[in-house]
Amino acid sequence: MILRNRWFLYGVSMLAFFLVWDRAAVARVFSSGLPRPYEVVLHLWSMMIDPLAGKSLLGHIWASTQRILIGFTIASLVAVPLGLMMALNRYVNAIVKPLFDLLKPMPPLAWISIAILWFGIGETSKVFIIIIGTFVPCLLDAYNGVRLVEPELYDVIRMLGGKRRHEIIQVCFPAAFPAIFAGLQIALSIAWSCVLAAELVSARSGLGFIIIKGMNLSRPAMIVSGMVVIALVAWGMSQLVSGLERHVCPWKREIEGL
Amino acid sequence: MAYEQVKVKTPLILRLLPILSIVLFFGTWQMVVEWEIVPSTMMASPIQIFQLFLVKWTEANPDGALLSQHIWTSVQEAFTGYLLALLVGIPLGLAMGWFVVVEGLSRPIFEMIRPIPPVAWIPLVIFWFGIGISGKIFIIWIGGIVPCVINSYEGVRMTNPTLIQMARTYGATDWQIFKQICIPSALPMVFGALQIALACCWTNLVAAELLAADVGLGFLITMGRKLALPDMVLLGMIMLGLTGVVIGVVINYFEKRLLAGIRR
Repeated sequence: MILRNRWFLYGVSMLAFFLVWDRAAVARVFSSGLPRPYEVVLHLWSMMIDPLAGKSLLGHIWASTQRILIGFTIASLVAVPLGLMMALNRYVNAIVKPLFDLLKPMPPLAWISIAILWFGIGETSKVFIIIIGTFVPCLLDAYNGVRLVEPELYDVIRMLGGKRRHEIIQVCFPAAFPAIFAGLQIALSIAWSCVLAAELVSARSGLGFIIIKGMNLSRPAMIVSGMVVIALVAWGMSQLVSGLERHVCPWKREIEGL
Repeated sequence: MAYEQVKVKTPLILRLLPILSIVLFFGTWQMVVEWEIVPSTMMASPIQIFQLFLVKWTEANPDGALLSQHIWTSVQEAFTGYLLALLVGIPLGLAMGWFVVVEGLSRPIFEMIRPIPPVAWIPLVIFWFGIGISGKIFIIWIGGIVPCVINSYEGVRMTNPTLIQMARTYGATDWQIFKQICIPSALPMVFGALQIALACCWTNLVAAELLAADVGLGFLITMGRKLALPDMVLLGMIMLGLTGVVIGVVINYFEKRLLAGIRR
Protein backbone atom coordinates (compact mmCIF):
# COMPACT_ATOMS: atom_id res chain seq x y z
CA MET A 1 0.00 0.00 0.00
CA ILE A 2 3.03 2.26 0.06
CA LEU A 3 2.41 2.90 -3.60
CA ARG A 4 -0.76 4.76 -2.65
CA ASN A 5 0.72 6.76 0.17
CA ARG A 6 0.56 10.43 -0.73
CA TRP A 7 3.90 11.45 0.73
CA PHE A 8 5.74 8.58 -0.89
CA LEU A 9 4.34 9.63 -4.24
CA TYR A 10 5.36 13.25 -3.60
CA GLY A 11 8.88 12.09 -2.91
CA VAL A 12 9.01 9.90 -6.02
CA SER A 13 7.67 12.75 -8.11
CA MET A 14 10.23 15.27 -6.89
CA LEU A 15 13.07 12.80 -7.32
CA ALA A 16 11.94 11.96 -10.86
CA PHE A 17 11.59 15.66 -11.67
CA PHE A 18 15.14 16.48 -10.68
CA LEU A 19 16.53 13.36 -12.34
CA VAL A 20 14.78 14.11 -15.63
CA TRP A 21 15.94 17.73 -15.40
CA ASP A 22 19.53 16.67 -14.84
CA ARG A 23 19.51 14.13 -17.66
CA ALA A 24 17.83 16.60 -20.04
CA ALA A 25 20.43 19.25 -19.21
CA VAL A 26 23.33 16.88 -19.75
CA ALA A 27 21.86 15.49 -22.96
CA ARG A 28 21.48 19.06 -24.21
CA VAL A 29 17.81 18.65 -25.07
CA PHE A 30 17.53 22.42 -25.31
CA SER A 31 21.02 22.75 -26.80
CA SER A 32 22.78 23.92 -23.63
CA GLY A 33 19.91 26.23 -22.76
CA LEU A 34 19.02 24.18 -19.69
CA PRO A 35 21.31 24.38 -16.68
CA ARG A 36 21.83 21.42 -14.38
CA PRO A 37 20.14 21.68 -10.94
CA TYR A 38 23.57 21.62 -9.33
CA GLU A 39 24.67 24.62 -11.40
CA VAL A 40 21.55 26.49 -10.36
CA VAL A 41 22.25 25.90 -6.68
CA LEU A 42 25.86 27.02 -7.12
CA HIS A 43 24.71 30.14 -8.88
CA LEU A 44 22.16 30.91 -6.19
CA TRP A 45 24.90 30.70 -3.63
CA SER A 46 27.26 32.92 -5.60
CA MET A 47 24.49 35.49 -6.15
CA MET A 48 24.08 35.79 -2.43
CA ILE A 49 27.71 36.69 -1.93
CA ASP A 50 28.78 38.53 -5.09
CA PRO A 51 27.00 41.71 -6.05
CA LEU A 52 25.41 41.91 -9.48
CA ALA A 53 25.39 45.30 -11.18
CA GLY A 54 26.12 46.99 -7.91
CA LYS A 55 23.60 45.26 -5.69
CA SER A 56 23.55 42.04 -3.75
CA LEU A 57 20.72 39.57 -4.22
CA LEU A 58 18.89 41.04 -1.25
CA GLY A 59 19.32 44.46 -2.79
CA HIS A 60 17.61 43.31 -5.98
CA ILE A 61 14.83 41.61 -4.04
CA TRP A 62 14.30 44.80 -2.09
CA ALA A 63 14.30 46.89 -5.27
CA SER A 64 11.47 44.84 -6.76
CA THR A 65 9.58 44.59 -3.47
CA GLN A 66 9.90 48.32 -2.89
CA ARG A 67 8.29 49.10 -6.23
CA ILE A 68 5.46 46.71 -5.49
CA LEU A 69 4.90 48.15 -2.01
CA ILE A 70 4.79 51.75 -3.19
CA GLY A 71 2.52 51.08 -6.16
CA PHE A 72 0.31 48.70 -4.24
CA THR A 73 -0.16 51.09 -1.31
CA ILE A 74 -1.02 54.05 -3.50
CA ALA A 75 -3.42 52.04 -5.63
CA SER A 76 -5.22 50.38 -2.73
CA LEU A 77 -5.50 53.65 -0.77
CA VAL A 78 -7.35 55.13 -3.74
CA ALA A 79 -9.17 52.09 -5.11
CA VAL A 80 -10.62 50.58 -1.93
CA PRO A 81 -12.33 53.73 -0.62
CA LEU A 82 -13.51 54.53 -4.14
CA GLY A 83 -14.97 51.05 -4.52
CA LEU A 84 -16.69 51.31 -1.14
CA MET A 85 -18.14 54.71 -2.05
CA MET A 86 -19.30 53.42 -5.42
CA ALA A 87 -21.22 50.64 -3.76
CA LEU A 88 -22.75 52.86 -1.10
CA ASN A 89 -23.68 55.92 -3.13
CA ARG A 90 -25.66 55.72 -6.35
CA TYR A 91 -24.37 59.00 -7.75
CA VAL A 92 -20.71 58.12 -7.37
CA ASN A 93 -21.55 54.80 -8.97
CA ALA A 94 -23.21 56.46 -11.97
CA ILE A 95 -20.19 58.70 -12.56
CA VAL A 96 -17.35 56.26 -12.02
CA LYS A 97 -18.70 52.92 -13.20
CA PRO A 98 -18.88 53.63 -16.96
CA LEU A 99 -15.31 54.91 -17.00
CA PHE A 100 -14.19 51.89 -15.03
CA ASP A 101 -15.95 49.49 -17.40
CA LEU A 102 -14.17 51.17 -20.31
CA LEU A 103 -10.74 50.76 -18.75
CA LYS A 104 -11.28 47.35 -17.16
CA PRO A 105 -10.70 45.01 -20.12
CA MET A 106 -7.27 46.42 -20.95
CA PRO A 107 -4.49 44.21 -19.60
CA PRO A 108 -2.24 46.30 -17.30
CA LEU A 109 0.88 45.15 -19.15
CA ALA A 110 -0.37 46.97 -22.24
CA TRP A 111 0.31 50.20 -20.37
CA ILE A 112 4.06 49.54 -20.18
CA SER A 113 4.93 51.18 -23.46
CA ILE A 114 2.90 54.30 -22.86
CA ALA A 115 4.25 54.57 -19.32
CA ILE A 116 7.80 54.51 -20.67
CA LEU A 117 6.82 57.10 -23.29
CA TRP A 118 5.49 59.38 -20.56
CA PHE A 119 7.84 58.80 -17.65
CA GLY A 120 11.03 57.45 -19.15
CA ILE A 121 12.75 54.33 -17.89
CA GLY A 122 13.05 55.29 -14.25
CA GLU A 123 11.21 54.17 -11.16
CA THR A 124 8.11 56.26 -11.91
CA SER A 125 7.05 54.26 -14.96
CA LYS A 126 7.32 50.97 -13.07
CA VAL A 127 5.37 52.23 -10.08
CA PHE A 128 2.79 53.67 -12.47
CA ILE A 129 2.21 50.30 -14.11
CA ILE A 130 1.86 48.60 -10.74
CA ILE A 131 -0.70 51.22 -9.73
CA ILE A 132 -2.70 50.64 -12.92
CA GLY A 133 -2.48 46.89 -12.53
CA THR A 134 -3.52 46.72 -8.89
CA PHE A 135 -6.18 49.42 -9.14
CA VAL A 136 -8.71 47.28 -11.01
CA PRO A 137 -8.91 44.22 -8.72
CA CYS A 138 -8.88 46.33 -5.55
CA LEU A 139 -11.73 48.50 -6.80
CA LEU A 140 -13.71 45.58 -8.17
CA ASP A 141 -13.47 43.49 -5.03
CA ALA A 142 -14.21 46.40 -2.71
CA TYR A 143 -17.30 47.17 -4.79
CA ASN A 144 -18.46 43.55 -4.89
CA GLY A 145 -17.59 43.03 -1.25
CA VAL A 146 -20.00 45.72 -0.19
CA ARG A 147 -22.69 44.69 -2.66
CA LEU A 148 -22.66 41.08 -1.50
CA VAL A 149 -23.05 41.73 2.22
CA GLU A 150 -26.05 39.74 3.41
CA PRO A 151 -29.12 41.94 3.78
CA GLU A 152 -30.04 40.23 7.04
CA LEU A 153 -27.08 41.87 8.73
CA TYR A 154 -28.45 45.30 7.85
CA ASP A 155 -31.83 44.29 9.24
CA VAL A 156 -30.18 43.23 12.49
CA ILE A 157 -28.47 46.52 13.08
CA ARG A 158 -31.53 48.54 12.14
CA MET A 159 -33.52 46.51 14.60
CA LEU A 160 -31.00 47.30 17.29
CA GLY A 161 -31.53 51.00 16.62
CA GLY A 162 -28.59 51.81 14.40
CA LYS A 163 -28.58 54.70 11.96
CA ARG A 164 -27.06 54.76 8.47
CA ARG A 165 -23.57 55.50 9.72
CA HIS A 166 -23.76 52.62 12.16
CA GLU A 167 -24.86 50.42 9.30
CA ILE A 168 -21.85 51.39 7.28
CA ILE A 169 -19.16 51.35 9.95
CA GLN A 170 -20.24 48.35 11.94
CA VAL A 171 -21.75 46.06 9.37
CA CYS A 172 -20.69 47.04 5.89
CA PHE A 173 -16.94 47.44 6.38
CA PRO A 174 -16.27 44.38 8.54
CA ALA A 175 -18.43 42.15 6.34
CA ALA A 176 -16.64 43.41 3.24
CA PHE A 177 -13.15 42.80 4.67
CA PRO A 178 -12.77 39.19 3.46
CA ALA A 179 -13.68 40.21 -0.08
CA ILE A 180 -11.31 43.18 0.06
CA PHE A 181 -8.53 40.87 1.21
CA ALA A 182 -9.26 38.47 -1.62
CA GLY A 183 -8.94 41.43 -3.97
CA LEU A 184 -5.64 42.38 -2.33
CA GLN A 185 -4.26 38.89 -2.89
CA ILE A 186 -5.21 38.90 -6.56
CA ALA A 187 -3.81 42.41 -6.84
CA LEU A 188 -0.55 41.21 -5.29
CA SER A 189 0.00 38.49 -7.87
CA ILE A 190 -0.90 40.94 -10.65
CA ALA A 191 1.56 43.41 -9.13
CA TRP A 192 4.27 40.76 -9.34
CA SER A 193 3.56 40.19 -13.02
CA CYS A 194 3.58 43.93 -13.66
CA VAL A 195 6.83 44.64 -11.88
CA LEU A 196 8.58 41.72 -13.53
CA ALA A 197 7.35 42.70 -16.98
CA ALA A 198 8.33 46.33 -16.43
CA GLU A 199 11.78 45.23 -15.26
CA LEU A 200 12.16 42.94 -18.25
CA VAL A 201 11.62 45.84 -20.62
CA SER A 202 13.86 48.41 -18.94
CA ALA A 203 15.56 48.23 -15.58
CA ARG A 204 18.87 48.41 -13.82
CA SER A 205 17.92 46.58 -10.65
CA GLY A 206 15.39 44.11 -9.43
CA LEU A 207 14.54 40.45 -9.96
CA GLY A 208 13.32 40.94 -13.52
CA PHE A 209 16.64 42.60 -14.25
CA ILE A 210 18.46 39.48 -13.06
CA ILE A 211 16.64 37.18 -15.44
CA ILE A 212 16.88 39.46 -18.45
CA LYS A 213 20.59 39.94 -17.74
CA GLY A 214 20.95 36.19 -17.67
CA MET A 215 19.30 36.03 -21.07
CA ASN A 216 21.51 38.77 -22.50
CA LEU A 217 24.67 37.15 -21.15
CA SER A 218 23.55 33.70 -22.32
CA ARG A 219 23.82 32.31 -18.82
CA PRO A 220 20.86 29.98 -18.28
CA ALA A 221 21.97 29.26 -14.72
CA MET A 222 21.37 32.91 -13.91
CA ILE A 223 17.94 32.82 -15.53
CA VAL A 224 16.77 29.74 -13.68
CA SER A 225 18.18 30.80 -10.32
CA GLY A 226 16.47 34.17 -10.80
CA MET A 227 13.21 32.34 -11.46
CA VAL A 228 13.67 30.27 -8.31
CA VAL A 229 14.19 33.41 -6.24
CA ILE A 230 11.14 35.02 -7.82
CA ALA A 231 9.03 31.98 -6.99
CA LEU A 232 10.21 31.92 -3.39
CA VAL A 233 9.69 35.64 -2.80
CA ALA A 234 6.25 35.67 -4.44
CA TRP A 235 5.21 32.65 -2.37
CA GLY A 236 6.52 34.28 0.80
CA MET A 237 4.60 37.49 0.19
CA SER A 238 1.33 35.72 -0.46
CA GLN A 239 1.78 33.69 2.73
CA LEU A 240 2.29 36.98 4.58
CA VAL A 241 -0.94 38.42 3.19
CA SER A 242 -2.83 35.23 4.09
CA GLY A 243 -1.48 35.40 7.61
CA LEU A 244 -2.46 39.04 7.86
CA GLU A 245 -5.95 38.18 6.68
CA ARG A 246 -6.35 35.47 9.32
CA HIS A 247 -5.29 38.00 11.91
CA VAL A 248 -7.46 40.89 10.78
CA CYS A 249 -10.69 39.14 9.92
CA PRO A 250 -11.02 35.84 11.75
CA TRP A 251 -14.71 35.83 10.93
CA LYS A 252 -14.15 34.80 7.35
CA ARG A 253 -16.14 31.71 6.55
CA GLU A 254 -14.22 28.88 4.91
CA ILE A 255 -15.82 26.44 2.49
CA GLU A 256 -16.14 23.14 4.28
CA GLY A 257 -13.76 20.63 2.73
CA LEU A 258 -14.45 16.97 2.05
CA MET B 1 -53.45 39.30 -3.48
CA ALA B 2 -50.68 38.50 -5.92
CA TYR B 3 -47.26 39.83 -5.07
CA GLU B 4 -46.43 42.62 -7.48
CA GLN B 5 -42.91 43.65 -8.13
CA VAL B 6 -42.60 47.33 -7.33
CA LYS B 7 -40.73 49.01 -10.14
CA VAL B 8 -38.57 51.85 -8.94
CA LYS B 9 -38.09 54.37 -11.71
CA THR B 10 -34.45 55.43 -11.93
CA PRO B 11 -34.33 59.18 -11.60
CA LEU B 12 -33.40 60.97 -14.81
CA ILE B 13 -30.16 62.32 -13.39
CA LEU B 14 -28.87 58.85 -12.60
CA ARG B 15 -29.44 57.79 -16.17
CA LEU B 16 -27.77 60.92 -17.55
CA LEU B 17 -24.70 60.86 -15.31
CA PRO B 18 -22.97 57.87 -16.96
CA ILE B 19 -23.34 59.41 -20.42
CA LEU B 20 -22.17 62.80 -19.15
CA SER B 21 -19.22 61.18 -17.47
CA ILE B 22 -18.04 59.40 -20.60
CA VAL B 23 -18.59 62.46 -22.82
CA LEU B 24 -16.65 64.59 -20.34
CA PHE B 25 -13.82 62.06 -20.29
CA PHE B 26 -13.39 61.94 -24.05
CA GLY B 27 -13.93 65.66 -24.39
CA THR B 28 -11.23 66.48 -21.86
CA TRP B 29 -8.90 64.02 -23.54
CA GLN B 30 -9.44 65.63 -26.93
CA MET B 31 -9.01 69.13 -25.55
CA VAL B 32 -5.83 68.25 -23.64
CA VAL B 33 -4.16 67.17 -26.87
CA GLU B 34 -5.58 69.90 -29.10
CA TRP B 35 -4.58 72.70 -26.82
CA GLU B 36 -1.11 71.15 -26.41
CA ILE B 37 -1.37 70.98 -22.63
CA VAL B 38 0.55 67.76 -23.07
CA PRO B 39 3.11 67.65 -25.89
CA SER B 40 1.96 65.73 -28.93
CA THR B 41 4.93 63.38 -28.68
CA MET B 42 3.44 61.95 -25.50
CA MET B 43 -0.25 61.74 -26.13
CA ALA B 44 -2.68 61.35 -29.01
CA SER B 45 -6.29 62.49 -29.14
CA PRO B 46 -9.20 60.12 -29.73
CA ILE B 47 -9.68 61.55 -33.22
CA GLN B 48 -6.05 60.90 -34.14
CA ILE B 49 -6.31 57.35 -32.89
CA PHE B 50 -9.44 56.76 -34.91
CA GLN B 51 -7.74 58.14 -38.01
CA LEU B 52 -4.82 55.80 -37.52
CA PHE B 53 -7.28 52.96 -37.02
CA LEU B 54 -8.81 53.64 -40.42
CA VAL B 55 -5.41 54.01 -42.07
CA LYS B 56 -3.96 50.80 -40.63
CA TRP B 57 -6.49 48.59 -42.37
CA THR B 58 -4.75 49.20 -45.66
CA GLU B 59 -1.35 50.66 -44.85
CA ALA B 60 1.43 48.34 -43.74
CA ASN B 61 3.94 51.05 -42.80
CA PRO B 62 5.62 51.97 -40.58
CA ASP B 63 5.55 48.78 -38.58
CA GLY B 64 5.42 46.27 -41.36
CA ALA B 65 1.95 44.74 -41.24
CA LEU B 66 -1.72 45.51 -41.62
CA LEU B 67 -3.94 45.90 -38.57
CA SER B 68 -5.85 42.77 -39.53
CA GLN B 69 -2.62 40.76 -39.56
CA HIS B 70 -1.72 42.02 -36.11
CA ILE B 71 -5.09 41.15 -34.67
CA TRP B 72 -5.17 37.76 -36.35
CA THR B 73 -1.70 36.79 -35.11
CA SER B 74 -2.47 37.83 -31.56
CA VAL B 75 -5.80 36.01 -31.51
CA GLN B 76 -4.26 32.93 -33.08
CA GLU B 77 -1.48 32.73 -30.49
CA ALA B 78 -3.80 33.37 -27.59
CA PHE B 79 -6.36 30.82 -28.73
CA THR B 80 -3.83 28.07 -29.39
CA GLY B 81 -2.22 28.51 -26.01
CA TYR B 82 -5.63 28.75 -24.35
CA LEU B 83 -7.02 25.58 -25.94
CA LEU B 84 -3.85 23.63 -25.16
CA ALA B 85 -4.01 24.82 -21.57
CA LEU B 86 -7.62 23.66 -21.31
CA LEU B 87 -6.88 20.30 -22.93
CA VAL B 88 -4.04 19.55 -20.53
CA GLY B 89 -5.08 21.41 -17.41
CA ILE B 90 -8.69 20.38 -16.97
CA PRO B 91 -8.26 16.58 -17.23
CA LEU B 92 -5.16 16.81 -15.07
CA GLY B 93 -6.95 18.84 -12.41
CA LEU B 94 -9.98 16.57 -12.42
CA ALA B 95 -7.83 13.46 -12.10
CA MET B 96 -5.74 15.08 -9.37
CA GLY B 97 -8.87 15.70 -7.35
CA TRP B 98 -9.94 12.09 -7.29
CA PHE B 99 -7.03 9.73 -7.86
CA VAL B 100 -4.39 9.75 -5.13
CA VAL B 101 -1.75 8.41 -7.51
CA VAL B 102 -2.22 11.27 -9.96
CA GLU B 103 -2.19 13.84 -7.21
CA GLY B 104 0.87 12.41 -5.54
CA LEU B 105 2.84 12.44 -8.75
CA SER B 106 1.78 15.80 -10.14
CA ARG B 107 1.33 17.93 -7.05
CA PRO B 108 4.97 18.74 -6.18
CA ILE B 109 5.76 19.72 -9.77
CA PHE B 110 2.63 21.83 -9.93
CA GLU B 111 3.29 23.53 -6.60
CA MET B 112 6.77 24.42 -7.77
CA ILE B 113 5.58 25.91 -11.06
CA ARG B 114 2.60 27.69 -9.56
CA PRO B 115 4.23 30.63 -7.76
CA ILE B 116 6.34 31.58 -10.78
CA PRO B 117 4.53 34.34 -12.66
CA PRO B 118 4.33 33.39 -16.36
CA VAL B 119 6.13 36.66 -17.15
CA ALA B 120 9.21 35.26 -15.41
CA TRP B 121 9.40 32.48 -17.99
CA ILE B 122 9.92 34.93 -20.84
CA PRO B 123 13.73 35.20 -20.79
CA LEU B 124 14.13 31.44 -20.54
CA VAL B 125 11.65 30.88 -23.34
CA ILE B 126 13.34 33.43 -25.61
CA PHE B 127 16.59 31.66 -24.82
CA TRP B 128 15.15 28.30 -25.82
CA PHE B 129 12.74 29.06 -28.65
CA GLY B 130 13.87 32.41 -29.95
CA ILE B 131 11.39 35.02 -31.15
CA GLY B 132 8.97 32.63 -32.76
CA ILE B 133 5.37 31.70 -32.32
CA SER B 134 6.06 28.52 -30.33
CA GLY B 135 7.73 30.41 -27.49
CA LYS B 136 4.76 32.71 -27.08
CA ILE B 137 2.33 29.79 -27.14
CA PHE B 138 4.40 28.11 -24.41
CA ILE B 139 4.15 31.16 -22.14
CA ILE B 140 0.43 31.52 -22.74
CA TRP B 141 0.01 27.80 -22.09
CA ILE B 142 1.88 27.96 -18.77
CA GLY B 143 -0.16 30.97 -17.76
CA GLY B 144 -3.47 29.34 -18.58
CA ILE B 145 -2.80 25.91 -17.16
CA VAL B 146 -2.55 26.99 -13.53
CA PRO B 147 -6.12 28.28 -13.04
CA CYS B 148 -7.49 25.33 -15.01
CA VAL B 149 -5.83 22.78 -12.76
CA ILE B 150 -6.70 24.63 -9.56
CA ASN B 151 -10.35 25.11 -10.44
CA SER B 152 -10.87 21.56 -11.72
CA TYR B 153 -9.18 20.20 -8.59
CA GLU B 154 -11.38 22.29 -6.32
CA GLY B 155 -14.43 21.34 -8.34
CA VAL B 156 -13.84 17.65 -7.77
CA ARG B 157 -12.95 18.14 -4.09
CA MET B 158 -16.25 19.96 -3.55
CA THR B 159 -18.34 17.01 -4.74
CA ASN B 160 -21.12 16.18 -2.35
CA PRO B 161 -19.82 13.26 -0.20
CA THR B 162 -23.32 11.83 0.12
CA LEU B 163 -23.45 11.19 -3.61
CA ILE B 164 -20.13 9.37 -3.47
CA GLN B 165 -21.22 7.22 -0.56
CA MET B 166 -24.47 6.44 -2.29
CA ALA B 167 -22.58 5.33 -5.39
CA ARG B 168 -20.34 3.13 -3.27
CA THR B 169 -23.30 1.38 -1.67
CA TYR B 170 -24.50 0.57 -5.17
CA GLY B 171 -21.13 -1.01 -5.89
CA ALA B 172 -19.67 1.52 -8.31
CA THR B 173 -15.95 1.32 -9.05
CA ASP B 174 -13.63 4.29 -8.53
CA TRP B 175 -13.57 5.05 -12.22
CA GLN B 176 -17.35 4.96 -12.50
CA ILE B 177 -17.75 7.33 -9.57
CA PHE B 178 -15.21 9.65 -11.15
CA LYS B 179 -16.84 9.66 -14.54
CA GLN B 180 -20.46 9.86 -13.52
CA ILE B 181 -20.46 11.87 -10.32
CA CYS B 182 -17.28 13.85 -9.81
CA ILE B 183 -16.90 15.23 -13.30
CA PRO B 184 -20.48 16.48 -13.75
CA SER B 185 -20.53 18.06 -10.32
CA ALA B 186 -17.22 19.79 -10.99
CA LEU B 187 -18.48 21.35 -14.22
CA PRO B 188 -19.50 24.76 -12.76
CA MET B 189 -16.00 25.28 -11.37
CA VAL B 190 -14.52 24.11 -14.66
CA PHE B 191 -16.53 26.71 -16.54
CA GLY B 192 -15.35 29.32 -14.07
CA ALA B 193 -11.84 28.23 -14.95
CA LEU B 194 -12.53 28.86 -18.63
CA GLN B 195 -13.11 32.54 -17.97
CA ILE B 196 -10.23 33.01 -15.55
CA ALA B 197 -7.81 31.16 -17.81
CA LEU B 198 -8.87 33.31 -20.75
CA ALA B 199 -8.06 36.50 -18.85
CA CYS B 200 -4.70 35.03 -17.79
CA CYS B 201 -3.90 33.94 -21.33
CA TRP B 202 -4.73 37.32 -22.77
CA THR B 203 -2.55 39.15 -20.24
CA ASN B 204 0.36 36.80 -20.83
CA LEU B 205 -0.05 37.23 -24.56
CA VAL B 206 0.58 40.94 -24.09
CA ALA B 207 3.65 40.26 -21.98
CA ALA B 208 5.08 37.77 -24.46
CA GLU B 209 4.45 40.02 -27.44
CA LEU B 210 6.02 43.06 -25.79
CA LEU B 211 9.35 41.33 -25.79
CA ALA B 212 9.52 38.71 -28.45
CA ALA B 213 7.55 39.37 -31.57
CA ASP B 214 7.60 40.94 -34.96
CA VAL B 215 3.88 41.00 -35.53
CA GLY B 216 0.87 41.22 -33.27
CA LEU B 217 -0.89 43.81 -31.14
CA GLY B 218 1.77 43.82 -28.42
CA PHE B 219 4.38 44.35 -31.11
CA LEU B 220 2.32 47.25 -32.47
CA ILE B 221 2.49 48.86 -29.05
CA THR B 222 6.25 48.37 -28.73
CA MET B 223 6.83 49.68 -32.24
CA GLY B 224 4.76 52.74 -31.47
CA ARG B 225 6.97 53.42 -28.47
CA LYS B 226 10.21 52.91 -30.41
CA LEU B 227 9.04 55.22 -33.17
CA ALA B 228 7.65 57.71 -30.64
CA LEU B 229 4.16 57.51 -32.16
CA PRO B 230 1.73 57.71 -29.23
CA ASP B 231 -1.29 57.20 -31.47
CA MET B 232 0.05 53.81 -32.51
CA VAL B 233 0.65 52.84 -28.89
CA LEU B 234 -2.83 53.89 -27.85
CA LEU B 235 -4.40 52.22 -30.88
CA GLY B 236 -2.69 48.96 -29.94
CA MET B 237 -3.86 49.24 -26.34
CA ILE B 238 -7.45 49.94 -27.31
CA MET B 239 -7.50 47.11 -29.85
CA LEU B 240 -6.16 44.77 -27.18
CA GLY B 241 -8.94 45.72 -24.83
CA LEU B 242 -11.63 45.47 -27.51
CA THR B 243 -10.43 42.13 -28.84
CA GLY B 244 -10.31 40.76 -25.31
CA VAL B 245 -13.89 41.85 -24.75
CA VAL B 246 -15.07 40.31 -28.02
CA ILE B 247 -13.38 36.98 -27.25
CA GLY B 248 -14.93 37.01 -23.79
CA VAL B 249 -18.37 37.58 -25.26
CA VAL B 250 -17.88 34.71 -27.73
CA ILE B 251 -16.78 32.33 -24.98
CA ASN B 252 -19.71 33.41 -22.84
CA TYR B 253 -22.10 32.62 -25.67
CA PHE B 254 -20.71 29.12 -26.11
CA GLU B 255 -20.76 28.53 -22.38
CA LYS B 256 -24.43 29.48 -22.13
CA ARG B 257 -25.36 27.13 -24.96
CA LEU B 258 -23.38 24.26 -23.46
CA LEU B 259 -24.82 24.78 -20.01
CA ALA B 260 -28.38 25.14 -21.32
CA GLY B 261 -29.54 21.96 -19.66
CA ILE B 262 -27.27 21.72 -16.66
CA ARG B 263 -28.27 23.52 -13.52
CA ARG B 264 -25.59 25.96 -12.33
